[in-house]
Amino acid sequence: MPASGRSLPQLAELLYLLAHKELKARYKNSVLGYLWALANPMAFAFVYWIAFKFIMRMDVENYSLYLITGIFPWVWLSTGVISATRSFVVNASLIKKVPLPRAILPLGNVAQEMVHFIFALPVIVAFLWFAGAISPFASWAWQLPVMLALQVAFVYPLALGLALANVYVRDIEYLVGIGFSLMFFATPMVYPVSMVPEAYRRYFELNPLHALMDSWRSVLLNGSLDLGHVAHAAAFAAVVGAVAWLLHRKLAPRIGELV
Amino acid sequence: MTHVVSCEGIWKSYERHRAVGLKSLLVGAETPRSDTRFAREWALSEVSLRVPRGQAYGVIGPNGSGKTTLLSILLGTVRADRGRLSLDGRVGSLLELGAGFHGDLSGRENVFLYGSILGMRVAEIRRRFDAIAEFSELDSAIEQPLRTYSAGMKARLGFSIIIRSQADILLIDEVLAVGDTRFQAKCRLALREFRARGGTLIIVSHDMKELAEVCDEGLCLDLGRVVDAGPIAGVIARYGERMEGARSRA
Repeated sequence: MPASGRSLPQLAELLYLLAHKELKARYKNSVLGYLWALANPMAFAFVYWIAFKFIMRMDVENYSLYLITGIFPWVWLSTGVISATRSFVVNASLIKKVPLPRAILPLGNVAQEMVHFIFALPVIVAFLWFAGAISPFASWAWQLPVMLALQVAFVYPLALGLALANVYVRDIEYLVGIGFSLMFFATPMVYPVSMVPEAYRRYFELNPLHALMDSWRSVLLNGSLDLGHVAHAAAFAAVVGAVAWLLHRKLAPRIGELV
Repeated sequence: MTHVVSCEGIWKSYERHRAVGLKSLLVGAETPRSDTRFAREWALSEVSLRVPRGQAYGVIGPNGSGKTTLLSILLGTVRADRGRLSLDGRVGSLLELGAGFHGDLSGRENVFLYGSILGMRVAEIRRRFDAIAEFSELDSAIEQPLRTYSAGMKARLGFSIIIRSQADILLIDEVLAVGDTRFQAKCRLALREFRARGGTLIIVSHDMKELAEVCDEGLCLDLGRVVDAGPIAGVIARYGERMEGARSRA
């Protein structure tokens, strides 16, 4: 059946099954299973806390909370984009042998990482609540779906564009990994933007990744949407979205013969 | 007569694979020769065919003559450069049985994943699941992870999903029948039933005996061109003569 004949509910089911497949494959024969989605970012946060708070004595209020509220969305963003970048190449047999709406493959990777994040969310909130950072849930809970939507709108076009480009130039999958390692430190993640020397601070403020991460921190730490940062991240998402859409229109029909 | 599959004047050229990058700088790039059998400019040139509803149509030709490219274009995974193409109905493919299967999922889960990849709704797959499982004869193994399956078991599952899906047109590349002799007979029977229900088959194969048995008409490709078309027996006979002639010249 032609790809164009698929209905939205059919695509939603396919997306669910693709994400489910990845999750199941990842946690086969693992005792802790989904808990690793929690343990991995927590371990990162702990290492940075030791390095910057305990050893380097960085003076940041609630540093552990600052780390945790940034690292979880970051892990979703980076692992989602990194795995999605390879999605066309690793699914070569699907792309060649089945008429599939190809754009759904990187979306599957992004959705899979979102599931991890949502699974970790109650634990993050409990942690914050326990530390007294935020008031109990109800009043600001509506902001979470807004942020989830913003993050998907931000991550998916990036993932789709890079996945398409990677079919043509396979170096991209290596560059993306290095890029995220660099950006982790170039974006205020382990230090607050206020610690950046004033002369350079405005360049750091321009970084859309910073806008997205700070939107999360604002919601999780203060229970408020930082509209400036949300708009900044959304504008970036719109631009990347337009580019990815054009790339998809131009490149997607040919990838069947290139993977 | 209504034609469910028709294409007219299909042309397809693959972009020449050009070596770029460090490797070619270091070891030197070879200039590809352009007129050999496997590196010609047009993978397909001016290919036309029409298949009426309920017919089985065979595609034959030597390796690299463009058969799989033609099927990929009909399926929609490769886009033609020029030409008109129309397929009337839901297309299923046996280009590669179980493309998209995953070893860590059970047979049952793979049925749902693969069915969804093919474009079925989950409710529809659920309705057909028993028929699929029954056809595959995998019994309780259908609950086991796919990595425990033999190649024959995987092929059985793949064929069962395709044949029990609601396709109107099946594109088949060399996998006319799978599994052991008895299951192969069952596949043939199922394909015959499929046609009796008005299903249309397009088959690429090198098994002339099989094609002669199954197909009504067909065409022969060579170097991307249709060199012969018509009732299958004649096409096969002339293909044999052509190959014989090529051998005696060599």
